[in-house]
Amino acid sequence: MVLVNLILILLLGGVVAAVSERVSSTTPRQVALLVIVLAFLYLVSELSGLDSLNQLQPSTPNDPNSWLIHFKASWIPAFGISIEFALDGLSLLMVLLTLVLGAIAVSASWTDITERHGFFEANLLWTIAGVLGVFMALDLFLFFLFWEVMLIPMYFLIAIWGHENRGYAAMKFFIFTQASGLLMLVATLALVAVYRDSMGHYSFSYFDLLNTPMAKNTAWWLMLGFFVAFVVKLPGFPFHTWLPDAHTQAPTAGSVILAGILLKTGAYGLIRFTVPLFPDAALEFSNVALTLGVAGIIYGAVLAFGQTDFKRLVAYSSVSHMGFILLGVYAWNELALQGAVMQMVAHGFSTAALFMIAGSLQERLHTREMPKMSGLWQSMPRMGAMAMFFVLASLGLPGLGNFVAEFLVLLGLFQVNPWLTVLASMGLITGAIYSLMLMQRSFQGEPNPQLETKTLTDFGSRELLTMAVMVIALVVLGIYPQPVLDIAQMTIASTLKFGLPGAMP
Amino acid sequence: MTDYIWLIPILPLISSITLMLGSAYLGRSVIATLGVGSVGLAAVLTGALAYNFLHAPEPIHVVYWTWMQVGQFDPSIAFYFDGLTLVMMSVITGVGFLIHLFSSEFMEHDNSYARYFAYLNMFVAAMLILVLADNLLLMYLGWEGVGTCSYLLVGFWYQHSANGRAARKAFIVTRIGDTAMAIGLLVLFTELGTLNIQDLVAAAQAKWQVGDVIPLLICVLLLAGAAGKSAQLPLHTWLPDAMAGPTPVSALIHAATMVTAGVYLIARTHGLFLLSPDAMTVVAVVGLLTSLVAAFTALAQHDIKRILAYSTISQIGYMFLALGVGAWTAGVFHLMTHAFFKALLFLGSGAIIHCLHHEHDIFKMGGLRSRMPVTFWSFLIGSAALAALPLTSGFFSKDLILLQAYQQANIGPLLWVGGLGGALLTAIYSFRLVFIVFFGHANTSPDREIGWRMAIPLILLCALSLIGGYFSLPVEKVFPIDDNQHPDQWVELVSISIPIFGVFLAYLLFLGRQLDPGFLIESASGRWLKQFWYSGWKIDRLYDLALVNPYYWIATIARNEPVDKFYQSIVITNQTLNAALSKMQTGRMRGYIVSMVIGLIGFLGLSLFFVAGAV
Amino acid sequence: MTLSKLIALAPILILSITIIVLVLHASLKRDHKSAWYVSALGLLITIWGSYYASGYAQQVTVLLKVDNWGLLFSALIVVSTLTTLAISRDVFLAEGNRKEEYYLLILLSTLGAIVLCQSSHIVSLLLGMELMGIAVYAMIAFPEEDALPLEASIKYLILSACASAMLLFGFALLYAATGDLSYAGIGSKVASAYESNPMLVVAGTAMVLSGIGFKLSLVPFHMWTPDVYEGAPTPVTNFLATVSKGAMFVALTRLFLDGKFYQFPSLIVALTLISVASMLVGNLLALRQENVKRLLAYSSIAHFGYLLMVIVGFSSLKETGEILNLGRDALTFYLAAYILSTLAAIAVVANVVGEKTAHIEAFTGLFWKQPLQAAALMVAMLSFAGIPLTAGFMGKFYLITLGLDAGLWLLLSGLIIGSAIGIYYYLRLIFAMSSPLGDPSVVPSKHSLSWRDALAFVLLLSVLYMGSWPQPFIDFAGV
Repeated sequence: MVLVNLILILLLGGVVAAVSERVSSTTPRQVALLVIVLAFLYLVSELSGLDSLNQLQPSTPNDPNSWLIHFKASWIPAFGISIEFALDGLSLLMVLLTLVLGAIAVSASWTDITERHGFFEANLLWTIAGVLGVFMALDLFLFFLFWEVMLIPMYFLIAIWGHENRGYAAMKFFIFTQASGLLMLVATLALVAVYRDSMGHYSFSYFDLLNTPMAKNTAWWLMLGFFVAFVVKLPGFPFHTWLPDAHTQAPTAGSVILAGILLKTGAYGLIRFTVPLFPDAALEFSNVALTLGVAGIIYGAVLAFGQTDFKRLVAYSSVSHMGFILLGVYAWNELALQGAVMQMVAHGFSTAALFMIAGSLQERLHTREMPKMSGLWQSMPRMGAMAMFFVLASLGLPGLGNFVAEFLVLLGLFQVNPWLTVLASMGLITGAIYSLMLMQRSFQGEPNPQLETKTLTDFGSRELLTMAVMVIALVVLGIYPQPVLDIAQMTIASTLKFGLPGAMP
Repeated sequence: MTDYIWLIPILPLISSITLMLGSAYLGRSVIATLGVGSVGLAAVLTGALAYNFLHAPEPIHVVYWTWMQVGQFDPSIAFYFDGLTLVMMSVITGVGFLIHLFSSEFMEHDNSYARYFAYLNMFVAAMLILVLADNLLLMYLGWEGVGTCSYLLVGFWYQHSANGRAARKAFIVTRIGDTAMAIGLLVLFTELGTLNIQDLVAAAQAKWQVGDVIPLLICVLLLAGAAGKSAQLPLHTWLPDAMAGPTPVSALIHAATMVTAGVYLIARTHGLFLLSPDAMTVVAVVGLLTSLVAAFTALAQHDIKRILAYSTISQIGYMFLALGVGAWTAGVFHLMTHAFFKALLFLGSGAIIHCLHHEHDIFKMGGLRSRMPVTFWSFLIGSAALAALPLTSGFFSKDLILLQAYQQANIGPLLWVGGLGGALLTAIYSFRLVFIVFFGHANTSPDREIGWRMAIPLILLCALSLIGGYFSLPVEKVFPIDDNQHPDQWVELVSISIPIFGVFLAYLLFLGRQLDPGFLIESASGRWLKQFWYSGWKIDRLYDLALVNPYYWIATIARNEPVDKFYQSIVITNQTLNAALSKMQTGRMRGYIVSMVIGLIGFLGLSLFFVAGAV
Repeated sequence: MTLSKLIALAPILILSITIIVLVLHASLKRDHKSAWYVSALGLLITIWGSYYASGYAQQVTVLLKVDNWGLLFSALIVVSTLTTLAISRDVFLAEGNRKEEYYLLILLSTLGAIVLCQSSHIVSLLLGMELMGIAVYAMIAFPEEDALPLEASIKYLILSACASAMLLFGFALLYAATGDLSYAGIGSKVASAYESNPMLVVAGTAMVLSGIGFKLSLVPFHMWTPDVYEGAPTPVTNFLATVSKGAMFVALTRLFLDGKFYQFPSLIVALTLISVASMLVGNLLALRQENVKRLLAYSSIAHFGYLLMVIVGFSSLKETGEILNLGRDALTFYLAAYILSTLAAIAVVANVVGEKTAHIEAFTGLFWKQPLQAAALMVAMLSFAGIPLTAGFMGKFYLITLGLDAGLWLLLSGLIIGSAIGIYYYLRLIFAMSSPLGDPSVVPSKHSLSWRDALAFVLLLSVLYMGSWPQPFIDFAGV
């Protein structure tokens, strides 16, 4: 019930936040923050009661009892659909990340929302609830439900509170994910049909479907259906084009959630579903996936360099970084997979912070165009220092989380495909190029005389506190990532078993 | 006795963080005390460590915690301390302290005093981690860390976009090398299953024969990393531009410490290089070529700091030459003496720039001998050491390198001759600098005197530059014993006399003016050559054409998302179809009936077709 | 005729009695309000009757086959009529005319629809269809002073006549081939008739399906749809979109299954093409449509394209009947979902624009002015788009399952592409509604809930309920 409660807290919290606008326009954001903190505390208190968390044994994928938490209740028995949630290491990490970044997102949009506060915070909370559902649902029907439903509040966040071209961006975002989601739906139903044909009854439970025997050809097509849906969300090259628009147009909190969490659902899906459900097909496909990953790294980096819009640049940097996740998953070994999980967490923080900075700039300067900025360090040294920190994190400075992630991915990939690794490591160079350019064009250089620098206010204590959370998180991830690696280990060890020929657990 | 070793890098780090957080609240004297004091304390601790080590010269290995553990991969946060580390740490903390002290006066009137010391302390911490690391990944952390600090300090005066450009160039060019090095790490781990330096060298020697191809590959990748950081061909172009930073930064980072990290890396992993003679030859040749190219370039510069920058490149070339011929100790020795005299020269030039309204052009100086005596003597001693005049520290180290180069098995004499050429050029350009700046007609006058915080470091470094050659490095256990025979007497004689001849030549050319090379310089080829050297052999231009411009070009044409054109085309198709279909909705019934009839006919036709097919 | 047969006919009988009462009432005292109440009461009792009759399912004469499936749709049709009545109230009251005939027409038409749902004979099919249709012509033209409804009515009348002609001729051919007019009779003889005279059978079925295709507005018989949807008064649009089309589809299914049309590959190929064409053309036409009523018209073309998938799916009917069950469930679910979503959508449209032009701009900022109305329309749109938790998603779920089981790859691709295109225009409406451009100072209205909000809310809930808790529907439809 814990997991259901967690989602309910956020859903109901959203309603409360929406209604609380009647008290005052500032109440909703306080409610939202409170709800997320409550949800976090609730989860942590429930977790501390679990014995299994201390042992962190690798979970056996098709034995739900070996997971940390498992909940199942019948829903649509005619199709073997149930409300089934479960938590293992990977989901736990993602859920925690979601809640932390959720709180950060609320803080990031503390002041930049000027109207319809209640509904804004409600949508934020509902998006987070949807994402949590995605990370915890282990019934494929339920998973798809959350996968789609989380789009709607996100759509509203972009479409209502976004910037000048929000309609286009929101539409593009929705259509891309929805169209690819349809493919996944078809693949899911086909998988269930295959299962029914061999077992004689319907089931959407992940644990049942895991070892569905099927023809090679079938597996290949079904795998592709899942793959496309997840890679669109990731987003991997060449399905990424919705992302720059959506990120650029979304309000700050939207960008934070989108980059920090929503993209991770794609990565999560690949690790949780595509690989374990269709191990052979996925393994066969890995060269294509790896190539897409490398292409994404380089392409994203080159395009990031070409941008003049601060947020767009960061958005393309996400495309580049997400390429590493694709590499990590499809290199198919422990090192790379750990790297991919690490990247999910670390990128969540570093990009969220950069988007928050972008949002702060937009709020103060009313532009995101870097040619109109310059030398902002002079008037806003704290923001500049923070930007510098996260830019360095994003370019993979050792000692910060992103480096651990990227190095592990490269190390794992090298054992599989040295040449692609060499190409992928070009991302370290191109990453440095666009990152430093970002810094140069916005914070460094001659202060722009056209800007009313006197009126610019530097980061206040709220922003600094929020930033500090992410700074500390990245530093800890960078020099002592072991706890995260250990938690992820329980999932990774079991996921990798699927790759071994004939070693189906 | 070793439990305080972690304090040495941590002290500057804590100071750096304190300065960053407290920049708005701390007074200048507090900032200076923190910044200088933390490094001073580190230096004292290093001294204590050295004292212990010299009495009981056993390597120390301290493991703090496992950095990350994934399967077999488990690098630690751990320090390894031996004689080589001690030399590096002494240079870093000792010279570093002097430069910090110098900075506290040099930067006194800068608005970002705290930021400056925060960066500089951070640099010291990263550099110490680099040399203390027991594994290559932790070393890589320090390696990138110093690169970042270098970037931050080169671009310290961020208001001028030229500085930003120089800083980015420094970072990106070295990152190219770093990436090669990272790939080297990947190969090493994949092949040997560890990144711990001691284990790895042992494993490599157990696994491979001398001359195998994988060690060659690894060594070349590590060399690329070293070349990036140590500004060797072809990745040297960032260093002259990096002079955009404050001069003490140039002294510390771009002369004494960071740029020698490559030398340290190769010396540290010499066990690998010994497995690949080819790689060593490459190191030697790269070093020699770099030293010559840079020396020629230095000859044509006007900017005092650029001359010194090229001279640094050139001197590090010597160190690489030493490493390449297996003269490990000589290489590290030159690293140390070079740290003394080059820091001295940079600080001296800093003093000049400080007192001459930020003037960099040597032809606008002149006659400073009497007006800035401390600086003059510093420069004189520094240049003498740089030119390797006998009895100076530079003489001992450079002589050692040249003699060992001569004895290299294959192309030794060739390397020796090249090295001599470099030495001659070094003497010429360094004394060209001295003669032009300190003698002759005064073009400007200094507007202030240097204070004690600038004078003391200069004086101490003068002393070190003079006596540094008499130090003996505690590295016997680190490097293999050098069992070369002493070469012939004449080789040594020539080696000694060449620099002296160079100084004499410089005197004739630039001070006495007995020789007038005007006709040479004015000739067409002379002018071209001068321009060619002045531009650093047009290597920057080459990179612009070959790499930078194409990258800009691609980024510019691709910035509007070519992939999206595909999705746009879907949208356009839909819109076109929508328009076409909408046109049919005329609202006129006859059209509607036609459509129905066509539908019916089609339906019937299809049925007919099937029936005909069936019959 | 036994009592049990009479009970089985309860919905038809109750509705007929209501109509008689209404006629008497109108002739005695012309009172708009009470006519409304009489109709509504009669319809409510009809729903109860449908439920009551479900225990007495049987073949009643050769003309009508009463079964649960037909009764379910009868009930749904009556619900649609009730909604139409609800949203008609204002429109006709406002004009101050004496319009009781309207209620008569609407009930007559409903009666036709119910007959259509339960028909098992060509005669009852024609009877039901024409009873339903002729009343609708009059309903469309009811605001007799306006030009647009008149034009729509005439268009619909003439084109319907053409379609009916095709249908009749088709039946004539079938009769010539088989010598029977009941579905079951045709079904038992059509195979042998095909042996002896294939052309007659094939041409007959083709003409019948073309005629029905018109009523369902399938491509290429679809062109009347937007004009009539737009021209008709909004409540009549609602009636047309739900009652008329729903009943017709039920009749088509019965005819197709009992008449065993599914054994002719030519029909299957043609229906596949029609289905795909409807999906694509409908969605493409709707893409940039600015008029919401026309948009819904185009969207309905696409939805009946999707629904036709089920009919095609019957072609894989094995004698085991597995596909039959799945197909019938799919059909039930999708059609019910479509009807409910359409009711929700048009109810909101009627409330927002009434009889004014339903331009999309009229919906700008609706979310902030009338949140409940906007929410209902939004849920309807999401249901059309097939987003989970709505009835439409369960419909799509069924269709895809069926498509996978029957191996309808072409249709599945059409479904996916069509749905992907469809998202665009459904979202466009949602975007307009949520757009803050309207007036940012307008806070969510605090006025008390009106019956319009209640209606919207009920429809919204039923769409959500059907989508999020479908098991009861599945159980019911599976009976």
